[in-house]
Amino acid sequence: MNPNGVSPVSVWWVFVALGVAWTAVWGWVLLHAGPGPSYEATAPRVRRLRRLLFGVFLVAFGVVFAVSLRAYPYFQFRSRSIGAPVVTVQVWGAQWTWDLSQRILPKGVPVEFVVQSQDVNHGFAIYSPDGTLLTQVQAMPGYANHLIYRFSEPGSYVVRCLEYCGVSHHVMLDTLTVH
Amino acid sequence: MDPEAPTLNATNGSVLQAAIVYLVAGLGTVVVMGLLGLLMRLDHAGILVISADWFYRIMTLHGAGMVSGLLFAGFGGLAAVVSVDVRVSSRGLWIGLLVFLTGMMLVVFAIVFGAFAAGWTVLDPLPYQGKTWTVAAGVTVYIGYLFTGLAIVVVCATLLRATTAQGFGRALAWDVLFHPGRSHEAEVRPPVLIATVVAIVGLLLVVAGLAYLVPLLLEAAGAVKHVDTLLAKNTVFLFGHTMANLCIYVAAGLVYGTLPRFARRPWHTTWPVALAWNSIIFVIFFPWSHHLYQDFVQPLGLQILSNLGSFAGAFPSFVVTIVGALALVYGADLDWSPSAILMLLGVWGWVLGGLGAILDAVVPINQVMHNTMWVPAHFHTYNMVGVAAFVWAYLYHLAGELSDAPARRASRWAAWLYGIGAAGTSVVFFLEGAHSIPRRYAVHEADWQGYARVAIPFVVLMVIALAWLGAEILARIGRAYRRTRLAPS
Repeated sequence: MNPNGVSPVSVWWVFVALGVAWTAVWGWVLLHAGPGPSYEATAPRVRRLRRLLFGVFLVAFGVVFAVSLRAYPYFQFRSRSIGAPVVTVQVWGAQWTWDLSQRILPKGVPVEFVVQSQDVNHGFAIYSPDGTLLTQVQAMPGYANHLIYRFSEPGSYVVRCLEYCGVSHHVMLDTLTVH
Repeated sequence: MDPEAPTLNATNGSVLQAAIVYLVAGLGTVVVMGLLGLLMRLDHAGILVISADWFYRIMTLHGAGMVSGLLFAGFGGLAAVVSVDVRVSSRGLWIGLLVFLTGMMLVVFAIVFGAFAAGWTVLDPLPYQGKTWTVAAGVTVYIGYLFTGLAIVVVCATLLRATTAQGFGRALAWDVLFHPGRSHEAEVRPPVLIATVVAIVGLLLVVAGLAYLVPLLLEAAGAVKHVDTLLAKNTVFLFGHTMANLCIYVAAGLVYGTLPRFARRPWHTTWPVALAWNSIIFVIFFPWSHHLYQDFVQPLGLQILSNLGSFAGAFPSFVVTIVGALALVYGADLDWSPSAILMLLGVWGWVLGGLGAILDAVVPINQVMHNTMWVPAHFHTYNMVGVAAFVWAYLYHLAGELSDAPARRASRWAAWLYGIGAAGTSVVFFLEGAHSIPRRYAVHEADWQGYARVAIPFVVLMVIALAWLGAEILARIGRAYRRTRLAPS
């Protein structure tokens, strides 16, 4: 798993695969909703199916959880997976602007964003030049959240607010230049 | 109990009257909120221009109205279902409805006349710092929410009093749970067990609501200087997430109560059913912190607990209820009425929405999906395709049964149309989330507008389907209501 984060489109394809599989099972049952074997006859098979599903879910969730730990976005995880930060950017959110201590950043090195808010909750989200959400953290009044990210490509990255913060929430934008 | 036993009996006429009013008022609210949702999607598509101020007011009303409308419609339906087995106080239901409507009126008043637009999740400190509305508007909404909480207490206490009249352990099927080998001739039916569980959860979640609302009301009164933002975020999501989640479990009670009629088979309170529903009392309270994954100061243990808690919800829901529903209809001579179709569509939507939710509950996935359209995607799927379908199905069934009007064959098409419309609307939301489009944006950039344009025909399909089914329900509901008055009570 990419230590910088997962790709949203890959999540979509996992969702599509599982959704199609579920729809097939559901459709198959509906096709067999006409007169057939009695409930009593199928009950033992349902009991076995439940036991099987319980085990499968337990293993699947355990594996997903264990694998996901490697890509946790929290400071202590990312400082291990992509390295200790070499650049620190102070970020303040306020209705409805971003105040950043620097907007020009180097590529290929871990950058730490210290994200805070002057008023209400905001969401500090960095979008790639092609419009994909790369990483995010909340800006909360009274707290400082520390986010590490490594930019692998040069370009113009858009900062958006992703926590609803009032009627101009959607225009709370800024830009980071990576080179 | 015979799965085809009539809903109306010698003792529950007054309860069914209250239930009908809950269902009609709740689903009427859902229809109005749905039309507001269509307006928002027209705005996203660039077809209609709504000012940002009004967009966010509409968004706030849409969220608050949908969750409470579905919850109270579901409560009404569940009261009707369990009234076949236990004595529910119709007075308690009427008082609950009155308190609920008072709360809703306060919220609507603050939005329409006070320009309140902080979102239904009222994330502190935004309700007091909105810049375009006053602190008084925020306080009015909080007081409205207090009334809603009080209404939940009244309804849940009414249900709990009814279901536990013969003992708390019996209502929770503890005999089945702790003595699985014994014969359980006098077992409680699943809807009674479910009503007991959701009533307990409802009473507990109001405690979380009070933990959020009381300090903030004291802050507005000057009695408390400052409420910690992280604490407030935890309590509001513990309340709000659990309340939204409760909707599906209340609606599931309608499935347990009605699907056996269509399958012409009983759905027993077996050991897995008893275990699953007892576990929900605990499991439902774990996932709230997944709303705080991107608050890195939240203790790591709570994030992990929430991740595992979100996974845990799949066991009682899927392994027991969904598998149970599918097993019930497999090989049954199913009566393919519009209600049965809607319920089976609801089963599909519940799982698909849950799938989106479980993916979003994985921390690194949430990193790139949180507060994108993926979030409304998953909750619209299990609310619109799941909860709403279950509740519409139940009202359609109840109106038909009480008015002695058989379901029209042609109306099956309306049920399928609803499914296609709701599924299409939901899938487009998921696509938008996968393409990182933010949620809660009054204005969608030109590159994003194509998605909403694809979604709108699906929303229109839903409107047509609901107009069709709604017209049939309205044609029958008066007669159904009068019939309940004829029954001795």
